[in-house]
Amino acid sequence: MTKAGNWKSYERVLLPPVKNLHHLDVYRAGGGYETLHKVVKELEPQEVTAEMKRSGLRGRGGAGFPTGLKWSFMPPVKPEVPRYLCCNADESEPGTFKDRQLMEYNPHLLFEGILIACYAMSLKACYLYVRGEYASWITHMEDELEKVYDAKLAGKNMLGTNHSMDIILHKGAGAYICGEETSLMESLEGKRAYPRIKPPFPAQSGIWGYPTTINNVETLACAPLILDRGADWFAAIGAEKNPGPLLYGISGHVNRPGVYEYPTGMLITDLLEIAGGMRGNKKLKAVVPGGASVPVLRADMIEGVTMDVDSLREAGSMLGTAGMLFLDEDTDMVAFLRRVAHFYHHESCGQCTPCREGTGWMENLITRIDDGEGNLRDLDLLLDLCDQMEGRTVCALADAAAWPVRNTIKRFREDFERQCRPAVWAVNA
Amino acid sequence: MADFIRNPVVALPDPNPEPHFSEKQLSFTEEEKARIAGWVRQYPTSDGAVMWTLWLAQEKFGFLPPEVLQLVAAELSLPYAQVYGVATFYTQYFKEKKGTFVLDVCTCFSCQFCGGYDILAYLEEKLEVKRGHTSACGRYTLQEVECLGACGSAPMMQVNNGPYAHNLTPEKVDELLEALEAGKSLPFVSITLPQDEDEMGGNRRTDAESVENYVTPPRSERTQ
Repeated sequence: MTKAGNWKSYERVLLPPVKNLHHLDVYRAGGGYETLHKVVKELEPQEVTAEMKRSGLRGRGGAGFPTGLKWSFMPPVKPEVPRYLCCNADESEPGTFKDRQLMEYNPHLLFEGILIACYAMSLKACYLYVRGEYASWITHMEDELEKVYDAKLAGKNMLGTNHSMDIILHKGAGAYICGEETSLMESLEGKRAYPRIKPPFPAQSGIWGYPTTINNVETLACAPLILDRGADWFAAIGAEKNPGPLLYGISGHVNRPGVYEYPTGMLITDLLEIAGGMRGNKKLKAVVPGGASVPVLRADMIEGVTMDVDSLREAGSMLGTAGMLFLDEDTDMVAFLRRVAHFYHHESCGQCTPCREGTGWMENLITRIDDGEGNLRDLDLLLDLCDQMEGRTVCALADAAAWPVRNTIKRFREDFERQCRPAVWAVNA
Repeated sequence: MADFIRNPVVALPDPNPEPHFSEKQLSFTEEEKARIAGWVRQYPTSDGAVMWTLWLAQEKFGFLPPEVLQLVAAELSLPYAQVYGVATFYTQYFKEKKGTFVLDVCTCFSCQFCGGYDILAYLEEKLEVKRGHTSACGRYTLQEVECLGACGSAPMMQVNNGPYAHNLTPEKVDELLEALEAGKSLPFVSITLPQDEDEMGGNRRTDAESVENYVTPPRSERTQ
């Protein structure tokens, strides 16, 4: 028995098997928005937050911060001070594509979650920040949102109460850094998306200086489920300290890639089996368990490792966004790292010197090794560079760039050494 | 010492570039102004509407030269420097003229190992254009972009900042280019979840214009 329990008979809740669930009438026919009704009519805002806390839900955007706790950080309501919710749908982490599928197939669950969050924290408006590349999905959500407003489920005096809540779509324009919460706020304010120094945290001073909470799409989509079926039901799914349903985005050299919904705490080996095993019966070489910025795991490190925060930390990686990349034995890890370094160099916003310059030099050094012109000492130089970058910048992009470099070199050192020039030149060879 | 000021390593933008649009062309219609006003109402200050307005301007003018940015700044009563700053920060705002069709091929790591670079190289050869450039005929701009969030259906690309094309093969790229040449608009492709296929026998969206599955990627010949 794994932490995920009896996952073979797991029934999906985030993406339940219902045709055309993205239509408002289909969603409502299945009991949609009734939880919102119940919450707004019967519960006090503090009770909603308490229920969220009890459920043990942890943010699905990468950092894994407890959601209920985050909600309770909002300062007491003052009528003259507006407060906001931001939904982070700027899904740009390489290897992650779960939020897009959720927005495509079950957008109303997200809207309902947003409205519940607005009620729990007494907010008037939520900005739904979607990355600019998802233009088609933004158009779809605009249409559905209009129907939500027409049905008086949102907007002024929603559901015939004296509450007013708005959901406002914001279209990004292609910047990975906007997924960082403070940078997302800068972007919403119509500025260059340079991250801010924390503290002050968003709950004290967020968009336009007002209290703000920022949650990921999947996190907010869990809210209606928790309030509908109860925190105990939620807490019983999957791993004990990191419960709930989880969308696993599986890509790479597998026979059946795609987004899968299962409880948290699935064995990585089970997930590989679900995804049809490796393509062409090749051997597994490496797994990236949660997007580009988490340390890569060697094939011999995944035995018994489950997909939850604690187990992956013990194994020497992180859950991140649960966007998993499986790589087979033919994979060139130097080329892999070169591309990752290129990504971070391209996406560094340029605000802090260690990151702006460091990511560039990282790419230069790895490119040199990949081209066969590197020296063995370059590997140590790269590790030294990681030391110079980690924890020395405003946001975590520099750390996210350093972790994969450090760990890929550490865990696949032979691959790198093979590509480097030999350290000692033979005399009289 | 002062040599680097006269000869900067990075070329500075021309302070007075030749405008691409005449005074007459540079205005928003009443309808567009109403849309902009609608966006401004959604934010506490007009700053928030910058990104939407830049999208509108790019749709209208095709790209965002300084005179268009000035128009946006004037419309929102913001400093030109701020609008310029925003437009130059985000990669999807085009600062120079692009081809009729902008092909963004994803080559980030999932696509890298699933043939993203093969598709990029195939397009380079077929369209006779280097990545990051516009073809001589001015019809195609080929770009190598970072993760577009469709890693399961790699290799993939996005056309004109709009529809996605998934599970690309050279044959599929040919078909796609033919459709573009014929002036057809690309459909919205809904990718079937593997679990949906098992439990529902296919895609859940009956209104989808086009349906595909997640496909095991082909072996990639090159990874960079």
